[in-house]
Amino acid sequence: MAEIQKSWRDGALRLSTLPLLLLMGLFFVIPLIMTALLSFQGTQYYRLVWTWDLKVWTDVFSQVHYWTIMWRTLMMALVCTVLCTILAIPIAYGMLHRLSRWSDHITLLMVFAFLTDAVLKTFGWVLFLDRSGVLNGTLEAIGFPPAAVNVLFTPNATMIGMVYNLLPYTIFTIALSMARIDGDLVLAARDAGASRLRAFIEVTLPLAKPGIWAGAVLVFVLSLGVFLEPKVMGGGTSPLAAELIRQSFETRVNWPLGAALTLVLIVIGAAALTVAGAVALWQARRVVND
Amino acid sequence: MVSPIIKATGIDKYYGTYRALTDISLEVANGEFLALVGPSGCGKTTLLKILAGFEDLSAGSLVIDGEDMTEIPASARPTRMVFQKLALFPHKTVAQNIGFPLHLAKRPKPEIDAAVRRMLELMHLKESYLNRYPHELSGGEQQRVALARSMVSQPPVLLLDEPMSALDAKLKKSLQAELKHLHRHVGTSFVHVTHDLEEAMMLADRICVMRAGKIVQLGEPSEIYYRPANAFVAGFIGDTNLLPAKVTREGDAFRFACDVLDCANPIIAADQVAPGVAAGADAALMIRPEMLRLLAQGESADCTISGTVNEFFIRGASIQYRIAAAETEIVMDIPGTSTLPAKQGDPVKLGLALGDLFAVEA
Amino acid sequence: MTDRMEKRIADVLLYGSVFAALIFFYIPIATLVLFSFTKSRFLSWPIPEFSTRWYGELLADRDFWSALGNSALLAVLATVFATLLGIGGAFAWSRYKFRFQWGFRILTFAPLLFPQLLLGVVMLLWFSVLAGWLNMSPGLWSAVIGHVIYITPFCIVIISVQMQGYDNTLDYAAEDAGATRWQILREITLPLIWPGIFSAAIFAFLLSWGNFYITYSLSGSTRTLPTFVFSGIAVGSSPIYPALATLTFIPALVLIFAVDRLRKRAARRRLSAIAES
Repeated sequence: MAEIQKSWRDGALRLSTLPLLLLMGLFFVIPLIMTALLSFQGTQYYRLVWTWDLKVWTDVFSQVHYWTIMWRTLMMALVCTVLCTILAIPIAYGMLHRLSRWSDHITLLMVFAFLTDAVLKTFGWVLFLDRSGVLNGTLEAIGFPPAAVNVLFTPNATMIGMVYNLLPYTIFTIALSMARIDGDLVLAARDAGASRLRAFIEVTLPLAKPGIWAGAVLVFVLSLGVFLEPKVMGGGTSPLAAELIRQSFETRVNWPLGAALTLVLIVIGAAALTVAGAVALWQARRVVND
Repeated sequence: MVSPIIKATGIDKYYGTYRALTDISLEVANGEFLALVGPSGCGKTTLLKILAGFEDLSAGSLVIDGEDMTEIPASARPTRMVFQKLALFPHKTVAQNIGFPLHLAKRPKPEIDAAVRRMLELMHLKESYLNRYPHELSGGEQQRVALARSMVSQPPVLLLDEPMSALDAKLKKSLQAELKHLHRHVGTSFVHVTHDLEEAMMLADRICVMRAGKIVQLGEPSEIYYRPANAFVAGFIGDTNLLPAKVTREGDAFRFACDVLDCANPIIAADQVAPGVAAGADAALMIRPEMLRLLAQGESADCTISGTVNEFFIRGASIQYRIAAAETEIVMDIPGTSTLPAKQGDPVKLGLALGDLFAVEA
Repeated sequence: MTDRMEKRIADVLLYGSVFAALIFFYIPIATLVLFSFTKSRFLSWPIPEFSTRWYGELLADRDFWSALGNSALLAVLATVFATLLGIGGAFAWSRYKFRFQWGFRILTFAPLLFPQLLLGVVMLLWFSVLAGWLNMSPGLWSAVIGHVIYITPFCIVIISVQMQGYDNTLDYAAEDAGATRWQILREITLPLIWPGIFSAAIFAFLLSWGNFYITYSLSGSTRTLPTFVFSGIAVGSSPIYPALATLTFIPALVLIFAVDRLRKRAARRRLSAIAES
């Protein structure tokens, strides 16, 4: 599709962009700037004091407690990203190439699950995994000892919840880029003597790379901010960064600390995005040079 | 020409520093069928878009129907366009598509209905098509709907942007005939862009041949075919023989020297030499393939060419021979016969009349 | 390895993973539906006796009705604004070319890449300041703004996808037929991208309806269904929540299938538009 060149003096361009820019500026950019400024203030007796110092930041960087939680968050996010990516590849490929007649319906079922209220779904997991829940009840009925699977309220349960809520992102992005691959390319590889697996590794995977990257980065960034899963499924035993931030704001009413921790997470996420963007750019350039 | 419906004077068009059109001056008479012809990138479509109002002109002036068009947007111009990709609205029925210009002009519904039905009849479309959607019609029918939509408000000028280029050969022929018939019937001025000179010759009253943003030649089809302005125009249609030659003035006429041709008296009249040809300079003699004939043993002609048959193609109505003669290949079309007059490798002698020769710049 | 064997292994792996994924996605949903029909107060398996008792309890709960009303109001407002802004954004994203377009793209896409809780927290700080100046406390209004910021990028993407197949010549043809810019928009462009707009609106509605993080941060003391459930299960689980879940699944399913029908109709039209060229 050809794009239409527009000048900023054009009424249609202004009408379509200015309200959005205004909204994003007022309620997205300004809050971000304010968060940054707030991290240089202090609190006394649960009240904000405009001190303009680095006390909060030295706290954040010197207290082991924060580092443990940040580290745990980062590790959980990485594991979740790897799991979501690896699981999504065969699912997306199978949807497109084995169940192609049903792929529309499967997508719909996944979209429905994806759009359902996350609190309810997480609660559903609790009921399923509980000591007297569906899983253990069923296992007991067929002869296992009571409460055979004791996973609820552990970090593993948190991971199940995270993968559950974020897996659709990788499935959708990977399926989207796999669907765009010209089927003749795979046939050409097979014709040239490649086995099925070889053709998949040599042709499909490299060409689906943009989708794989996009999905992985999206999952990583979003998993940095999970809060519901560790709280409800993990039982709050090993809190992640988002819980820490919530506590700083709500329980401890230490806004500067909350702001600083928020910024740390945002910087980690932005760094992941930048690295992924740089890699994507580097790869695109390499293709051009070849 | 009484008062032209389109009068373009000195039009230039720049895209940044790229010059797409250079000094285009052109008049189209009321009711005329003009074809704009040229290879892709010659600026013919740009010129059409300037006429329609989709492109501004960088310099020059454009008057259509007695009005200066510089400040007039496409939607208010007395022109209608038939698009290359037809651009039928997929969400509107055939009736809604055809009636769209009148619908925009807020005409009363009965008037729109009547006009749509009139167009339907004119375009030989079935009335049952009225409530169908464009994708339910065949390619040729879609073409007619597009034509009907652009004709419904009886515009003084109809602009056609290669509307036949996507059709198969047979359909193209029948639609070309219909288009010519339509033009006679409605009396609208047509400006038709095409890269197919044969199509232009079939349809147009006059042809404007363009190359690299300039007009090369503007004239009636027979002028373009028999009196091309230069080798480019001569070679633009079919397989034309262009033989290198030298031309020198001799009284009112010209004498020529050409290695391939064997002529008893190599003199041609002054009107058989294109205006740009300088006496003594390198020139090319144009011989259309159908002007050559195969000479029988002992038969003679004004000029002859001797050679051997390289290849032949039986094309039904005609047979095309490719003949090797003095290091070039000569193309000859003769009327088709059931018995082949010559086969591959046969030595042959071709004849042609002096009056059929035409010299152009090399 | 022979080709037949390789194919068989691939088949098992691929069919298996799709089915496993579907089962995985529906484990909590099915669990909720099952438990909504229990008669017991306790949510333990196996269910001793079935009844619709908890639906009655839920419908008698005042807090449920107020949360439902808030959810609906929030979702409708967020949908209207996000869809309108999304239409404009999609034009600027994929039909226009202009100076600083990259900046516009980054700015309008960034909220999608933000963990929702952080988005909510960051906005909460600003809203608290604003609320102090304007002398009002965060509530439904701030949640609406938060939802619009979060959902608009989704709408832009969905409508942009619908615009991908759009043929600009149609606009020229309409202009040539005498249409003004407004008429082109109303008669040609909007009807053709309408399926995208409709899908975006449904998607926006469901995203807002099911949103927990942003509502939790920004709605102050106003409760919507997700925050109602969250605070409820924090105190102690009750079978009214599975009942609530089951009730809300039905309209969501209907909406999603409606979007799909529309999308398919649009795809047929787009195919026909290609056939014309």
